[in-house]
Amino acid sequence: MKFNRKAARRSDASRLTLRLWDFTGTAMLNLFMFLFLVAYLSPLPFMVIASLTPRDQFLDAHAPILPSERVKFNYEGKDLVVYKVPTAEGVKHWALYKPGRTSSQFIDPANPAAGLIEWKGQWRTLRSVYEFKPTLQNYQDFLSIAKIPLYFKNTIIVALISEIGVLFSSIAVAYGFSRFRIPGVKYIFFLLIATIMIPSNITLVPTYYLFSGHVLDWIGTWLPLLVPHFFGSAILIFLLRQNFKSIPRDLDEAAMLDGAGPLRILISVILPQSIPVVTTVALLHFFYIWNETRLSSLYLGIAPNLQMVSFAVQRNQTYFFTPEALMVGALIVMVVPVVVLFLSQRFFMQDMIVTQIEK
Amino acid sequence: MDLVNQSKLWSKIKPAKPTRLQQEARIGLLFLAPWLIGFVLLKALPILAALVFSLTDFKMLTPEATKFVGLENYLRFFSDSQAGASLFGSLGYFLVTVPLEMTVALALAAIFTNARLKNKRISQTLIFMTSIIPSTSIFFIFLGSLAYADRLFFKPYNLPPIEGFGLLLPFMALWSIGPGFLIMYSAMESVPNEVYEAARVDGAGPWARLVYITLPMISPAIFFTLVINLTGAFGGSLLLDRGYILSFSLSPMESYINTTMFNRAQLGYASALAWITFAVMMTITVLLFRSARRWVYFPEEDEENEV
Repeated sequence: MKFNRKAARRSDASRLTLRLWDFTGTAMLNLFMFLFLVAYLSPLPFMVIASLTPRDQFLDAHAPILPSERVKFNYEGKDLVVYKVPTAEGVKHWALYKPGRTSSQFIDPANPAAGLIEWKGQWRTLRSVYEFKPTLQNYQDFLSIAKIPLYFKNTIIVALISEIGVLFSSIAVAYGFSRFRIPGVKYIFFLLIATIMIPSNITLVPTYYLFSGHVLDWIGTWLPLLVPHFFGSAILIFLLRQNFKSIPRDLDEAAMLDGAGPLRILISVILPQSIPVVTTVALLHFFYIWNETRLSSLYLGIAPNLQMVSFAVQRNQTYFFTPEALMVGALIVMVVPVVVLFLSQRFFMQDMIVTQIEK
Repeated sequence: MDLVNQSKLWSKIKPAKPTRLQQEARIGLLFLAPWLIGFVLLKALPILAALVFSLTDFKMLTPEATKFVGLENYLRFFSDSQAGASLFGSLGYFLVTVPLEMTVALALAAIFTNARLKNKRISQTLIFMTSIIPSTSIFFIFLGSLAYADRLFFKPYNLPPIEGFGLLLPFMALWSIGPGFLIMYSAMESVPNEVYEAARVDGAGPWARLVYITLPMISPAIFFTLVINLTGAFGGSLLLDRGYILSFSLSPMESYINTTMFNRAQLGYASALAWITFAVMMTITVLLFRSARRWVYFPEEDEENEV
């Protein structure tokens, strides 16, 4: 009886320590992940804060980090800067009226009727008073010079057209790779994988020559950016093919017995089961078009009205190279892909995993 | 539009009544046609053309004055110290960023497999998110942060300012771990639980389990990530392409080729440089695939044959 109670007590205690350990472990793990994420993503909030900061804030080395403005006091039609003035009765917030070398005249914003106050000391050693005040001035400046709406429109048009091209051709090719017995298809597929790894600059010179005035004269149009996508994209074909292969063939065969042709099978059997992967692939292509700057700089440098967002912002940003303006540009360019990712995260990421791992 | 043509052609083929297999192969090839045409026109022919260009002194503005110069462009590479430095820069970039990316992605994936971690989905999305931020934005965030640090800390305290883009490389590398992380995480999740339980019964601690079970089991995923990163470092197509930064490419070799091509208009030499990069990259890839046989675990051999 005694022994039993002791044993029970001991097991209670050990259960408690175990639970305590468990709890500490869980807490530490989650805390670590939280801290990691904070550190990992810290440039992003910083970017937002910086983009809202007035441009001249840091001319004063003692300015606060958050976007703020100097407090001003309007006296007799003039904006006077308010300073922290040390006096016999503690630090006062007074507006500087007439600066002088050894003594200056201040006015008390709380009690302007009292008139000018003489203060002895060097006013340059005083620090000005700031209040928290985010500004949209950087955005306004940036939008007024760069034709952002036009660039957004261009990006959307290019994205839509090339999306149609790349989806039609890549789906057809992936279907061809996944469902037909073609002699030597293994080697063709190997070629496909190899083209994914070919560095783009090996084809750069000849394709540039092809698109230049000597042959096709497509420079300064969207065609060099659009037409290649109508031949399919190797990496997207690969992802689609992996997914199509995982769909059981029984359904195709049943449809075939019912007299459906290959195209019919693709449209009414394969595609309805592949909506997630097709969407994933479409999103990947959208991100690609959105981020594309390489071809734009080659082919659209001379056509300012045809440029797309990332490239155009990169170019226009050189007009004003202050950190605040840079942050505005960064924010404008990245906001769309990030929002699209968050809207589609659920299946986008899951599907990307599933399709790739089968390699 | 391709599909319509294909279906028309398909109905044309039908009356000829070839054997079933032949017919299937023809239809299949029709479906492959868009990519095959694109491959010949935009990949195979340009690569060969680049080889031909690289043997000439081809200039964009005066194509008719082109002369055959033999291997001169290739010999020039060996005396051009800037080109050599760029190539080594690219290799160095690969050697610095890839191990960093892989280690961080692997460590995060290992932490994520722990059942005690809460809010996995949102953390996963947040980690992945940085990989789709366009390089334009990353570059601006980086420059802006540097300028801010300069104003807020370096100038007030009279510290020497940070120069150059040395920090940009690790920064960008850390912000591109998304795909690698997802691939390795899902590979870890698909390792059967019984294996771990058996190891636990045998007294294997968490570290031993990671080294002797997880890593060998997910070696295909590690290999795949390595190939993706290699491809990215040498300018192949990427799963998530960020685009590149004007006037400053992360691959020094690539920007050197661009300079040779557009600022000096020496297309012949640029083609030779591109071919040299291509050769180096292919050598590394082949070596990587060779070595894969030793350390990558392939559970089912060659699924290709059953097609």
